[in-house]
Amino acid sequence: MESIRHKIARIAVRNSWVSLAITLVITAVFGYGLLHVEAKTIFSDLFPKTHPFVQTFKDHPNFGNPLTVTMMVKRTDGKDIFQAETMDKIWKMSRDVDLVPGVDHDQIISVATAKARYTVLTSDGIYSNPIMDEKAPTTDEELTEVRRRINESPVVRTFLVSQDSTAAIINATFIERLVDYGVVFEGVQDIIKKYSDGQHTVYVAGWPTLTGWVYHFGSDTIKIFAVTLSLMFIFLLIAMRNMAGVLTPALVSTFSAIWGFGFVGWIHNPVEPLLMVVPLLLIARSFSHSVQATERYYELLAECGDKKKAAEMSLAVMLAPGTLGIFTDVCGLLLVALAPIPALERFSLFTGFWALMLVPTSVIMTPVLLSLLPAPKNVEKLVGHSKESGLINKLLNVTLTGLAGLSTGKAAKTTAFVFVVLGVISVALMLRLQVGNPVEGSNLLRYDSEFNTAVREINKSFPGVMTLEVIFEGKEGRIVRQSDTLLSMRNLQRCLESQPHPPTATLSMADYAPEANRLFNGGNPKWSLIDRDDASASAAASALLLGTSPVAFSHIANFEQTNATVSLWYANNKQETVDLALVDTHLCLDGIGLDHKNFRIRLASGSIALQQSINDTVDKYQWYIMAGINLVIAIGCTLAYRSFAAALILLVPVNLANIMLTAYMVMAGMGLDVNTLPILAIGIGVGIDYGIYMLSRICEEYKDCQHIGDAIKHSLVTCGKAILFTALLMTIGIVPWYFLSELKFLSDMGLLLCVVMTINMVLALVLVPLLVYLFNPKFVSSEHQLLSESVDGLLDTPSHAAASQADA
Amino acid sequence: MHIRKFDHDYSRRVFLAKTGTMAGAGVLAPLWPMIANSADISKAYPDELMSVEGYTKGKVNTGDMITAANVDYVKDLLPPITYKQIKEMGRKIKIVPTTKDVTKMFPADYLEATLRNAGKGRIDKDNNITTAEGKPWIGGNPFPDAKTGLELMGNLTMSWGRANNCVYAIKDYDIGPDGKLAYQYDFGWFEQNAIARLGAAGPYMEGAGHADKLRYQMVLFTGPSDVKGTAYLSTWYNDQRKFPDLVGYVPAFKRVRKFPTNQRFEPLVAGITLYLSDAWAAGDPLLTWGNFKVIDRRPMLGAVSQNWYGDDANWEAPVHGGPQGITFQDTSYEMCPECIVVEAEPVGYPRAPVGKKRVWIDVRNMEFVAYHTYDRRGELFKSFEPIFSQYVKGNLKDMDHTGKNPTWSWTGVMSHDIQTNRMSRFRQNKECTGGIKSARNVDGMYEKFLTEQAVARLGT
Repeated sequence: MESIRHKIARIAVRNSWVSLAITLVITAVFGYGLLHVEAKTIFSDLFPKTHPFVQTFKDHPNFGNPLTVTMMVKRTDGKDIFQAETMDKIWKMSRDVDLVPGVDHDQIISVATAKARYTVLTSDGIYSNPIMDEKAPTTDEELTEVRRRINESPVVRTFLVSQDSTAAIINATFIERLVDYGVVFEGVQDIIKKYSDGQHTVYVAGWPTLTGWVYHFGSDTIKIFAVTLSLMFIFLLIAMRNMAGVLTPALVSTFSAIWGFGFVGWIHNPVEPLLMVVPLLLIARSFSHSVQATERYYELLAECGDKKKAAEMSLAVMLAPGTLGIFTDVCGLLLVALAPIPALERFSLFTGFWALMLVPTSVIMTPVLLSLLPAPKNVEKLVGHSKESGLINKLLNVTLTGLAGLSTGKAAKTTAFVFVVLGVISVALMLRLQVGNPVEGSNLLRYDSEFNTAVREINKSFPGVMTLEVIFEGKEGRIVRQSDTLLSMRNLQRCLESQPHPPTATLSMADYAPEANRLFNGGNPKWSLIDRDDASASAAASALLLGTSPVAFSHIANFEQTNATVSLWYANNKQETVDLALVDTHLCLDGIGLDHKNFRIRLASGSIALQQSINDTVDKYQWYIMAGINLVIAIGCTLAYRSFAAALILLVPVNLANIMLTAYMVMAGMGLDVNTLPILAIGIGVGIDYGIYMLSRICEEYKDCQHIGDAIKHSLVTCGKAILFTALLMTIGIVPWYFLSELKFLSDMGLLLCVVMTINMVLALVLVPLLVYLFNPKFVSSEHQLLSESVDGLLDTPSHAAASQADA
Repeated sequence: MHIRKFDHDYSRRVFLAKTGTMAGAGVLAPLWPMIANSADISKAYPDELMSVEGYTKGKVNTGDMITAANVDYVKDLLPPITYKQIKEMGRKIKIVPTTKDVTKMFPADYLEATLRNAGKGRIDKDNNITTAEGKPWIGGNPFPDAKTGLELMGNLTMSWGRANNCVYAIKDYDIGPDGKLAYQYDFGWFEQNAIARLGAAGPYMEGAGHADKLRYQMVLFTGPSDVKGTAYLSTWYNDQRKFPDLVGYVPAFKRVRKFPTNQRFEPLVAGITLYLSDAWAAGDPLLTWGNFKVIDRRPMLGAVSQNWYGDDANWEAPVHGGPQGITFQDTSYEMCPECIVVEAEPVGYPRAPVGKKRVWIDVRNMEFVAYHTYDRRGELFKSFEPIFSQYVKGNLKDMDHTGKNPTWSWTGVMSHDIQTNRMSRFRQNKECTGGIKSARNVDGMYEKFLTEQAVARLGT
């Protein structure tokens, strides 16, 4: 009786024009979806939505200055900022940033804006005047006066002018509804260009700037795509040197790309530009599956000499292993969604669907297209039967035969020993893997990027740009006007500041209100203490906010004054610092209590907390994802091969590959983070493909020769060659990301994908045959039609003949 | 009879021709001679400019509600923020007949002074407004048929409430972008002109120290309790180049806080979108702004009549629209046949977040019907939308100090920061917390409310 895969092969190939037409129609439908594809970064989607820190951040998004652009003007010639030209720059930059679209006009703060004030007490009242008068100071007297005023204003001195007086800060906060990160980025870059000169450097940090950089570099994606696809195409051209062999992988990859992108267009799911390397990987995977099938087609064509028959046979034999390989890919990609990070969930759906569509577009359509295109004239050369086979083929044959020697005969035990040693070393290294990959600034960008440089420079001169926010969430009334709130804030700050590793600065309403209390009571420092009753707290807050919009304090209290925060700055955001900060904060809060009558205290928001939330999630979910993938593969392969041993033989190399990848990351000084987590999942998907192709081929070769050593050798020079070839092809597709992308995120992913593919390829070519050779499992010699790559008798069965007759 | 010559395009052509010239108000005939004769404007404008039916060719009728569904028919008649509020935020406005009797658009004594003093207003060498003799202004609109931006804004600046003094008992509701109430305040607004006064006592305030002043103005917060007693006193000089003195009083500390005199672009208390600069579309001294330009003449829809809710015990207006249904006051609008659109820039404020203001002024009473500010990039920033009315509703009336004429005043204001989408809506109530009652021409107001000592006393 004709099997399903034979039936599919027969229908698809013998009705090749119909198959192509159906594919083109579906492609057109998905192609329409391309019109709605949107590539954008949603920063809040990069964080794990279930983590308490992220929930706190989402409930109180205004704390931690997520929409603030911080510009620092730094004198580079050793002079301080109290020079006419520097003051003029600060004044003009403060005015120019007010022209950037989406800026909140009430939230531009620098020594040049009216919000930076000094206070004078006189017998007839309190004067609170802007530090600069109606223009930037120009004369010596004016400059001296401005210096004096700044020195008399503690908050300005701490947060707007550096301690060594060589740098000043201009903060501009944007309105979320109106902000366009690309536009803000361009506007701020213009300011940098305009005001930087030989004596002044302008550094810019803040989340809108970071997003702007991501967009800026993200626009290189199309360029890199073009380079990498061109390289893959050229490689294919050199290796195949025939139209069918080059056009087919290119066409099926184009179909799959249109289907994948069209799908997200139809469902209006924005594509995360940061993860664009994965679609490229899928294009490479499509190439890979297509090349595997094409190589098999060449072999069969060399045997039977009829392109239609060869195409049909190749589809019949490659359908099952190809589908199983893709199934594991899909599972790997979908399981990434276990980590509750919305960007990864969207990514998982997008790439999982695309990967699934490789079955029709790549596995099925490759033989269909091959049957339609002219048969290559250099088949003998390509399969290495000819004496004139090319240099590449000869080199591949020599290499693969050598590899076969490592997995069989006397060398097998030595190779096994080497793998055990490598495994032990890798495990030892793996245990040293750090979760988190902290840098000052963002790990999305390179260390020496303008953004990360700016963050480091600002951190050097000021309390910093990265904070941990302890949120005071109101239950009743305007809590910043209540005594218990101000007292709890003050106690928390004092407790943290007295710890062995104190923050570099802290800020809350408990700093501002007592100062207002002191000034309105005549200026004596003894009035810096607020009476412990709500009336006194409210009076101090009222005095503070008199004639001022609450948005001036929106970094520490919301507009309605019903929620507030204690901002904590730390010297850096390295894991050790963050851990200590969290321990200290918990310790101090134990004494203060989390639940009060009118408010509750929630940990935490700010960039340090968000970083920690990702690390916690990655640490937790990497095990779930790995376990899930192992389970799916174990079940899938056990069913497909009807042998648990087969599943084990496939799982050992892919898990070892991951351990080795982790060891590489430790050696390269990389930590496990949200950048690297998907690679672990994808890596297993890639590795298992190679293993399935190799194991299936060994089984079939064994049936022919009944000698495990020979079966392995034959498998390596045929299937192994295809694996080696496709691995090279994919590496060529991915490696340019490492060199061409300015985004460290994409570089890291590109590099790790190359590493994991190389490791998986070597393990599929050496360890899989080695395990089969050493354990000689029963399934190798048993009948397992599902994954058979054998073509023996395929075209001679009566049912098939009858079907052929009917078609004719 | 409808004369085809005077169609919609005819009015448009006339306005176009008059914009940028020194022409006076009126399309078919000069407006102000008619007002002086009979207070009736009917013969000055064609029907198309005095009825929304005529303007929209019957697509919108008097009595209709303007909603998102039909606002596009009258888009040209609305300032951009009002259009946006109706189109996108669920605001509705009711169309009422055009007021042709301008006595309903003035306090009686102010109109009388305007007509009496017509032609006496001058712009002196410093650009201040004086009489022909160079003395401080003597009452009413100095330029009843104003033709330049400076004259038009001068009318608004010289007298805000169009009375010798006014007390407004105000309730303020500050609505956040989510449509919820973020803050609520009760306060009294007290203003008294030192010059340009009406009535038999003469145009200038008696007593020493007032000769160089234009007005005294004070805001006293009476609720909620955490701001009760907080007050601001502003003393304006007659010389419109000088900034007013501004002091704040914080009752908890019994101290006066002196503000920088040019701090006019900050809210008085937390949550209010209103800046001092916005008040009456002329919240700053006339000459601290500059580059006055008349940019357009056009018909507009304006809230100038039938907006007094005398049937409510405290004159509160119903509200609607926005995410929670409380963002906008119910408002009646009428066709204003001719409005002059003036722009000015805050030349005296180097740090102003505002790039320019645009004011739409109804030529019938030279009062503004709309005011928008734009940020320095030219993007819409805020709307300060006045709601005026004669205080008459059916048989209900509120009478002025003479007891002979109905009160004319503003009844509400909506100050909408369109960028942060925060709305402050104010209502002139009969009375607000603290026992303050709305009134005009109150005896002894200066001594009771408008000195630093009074402010301190009121806060205790």
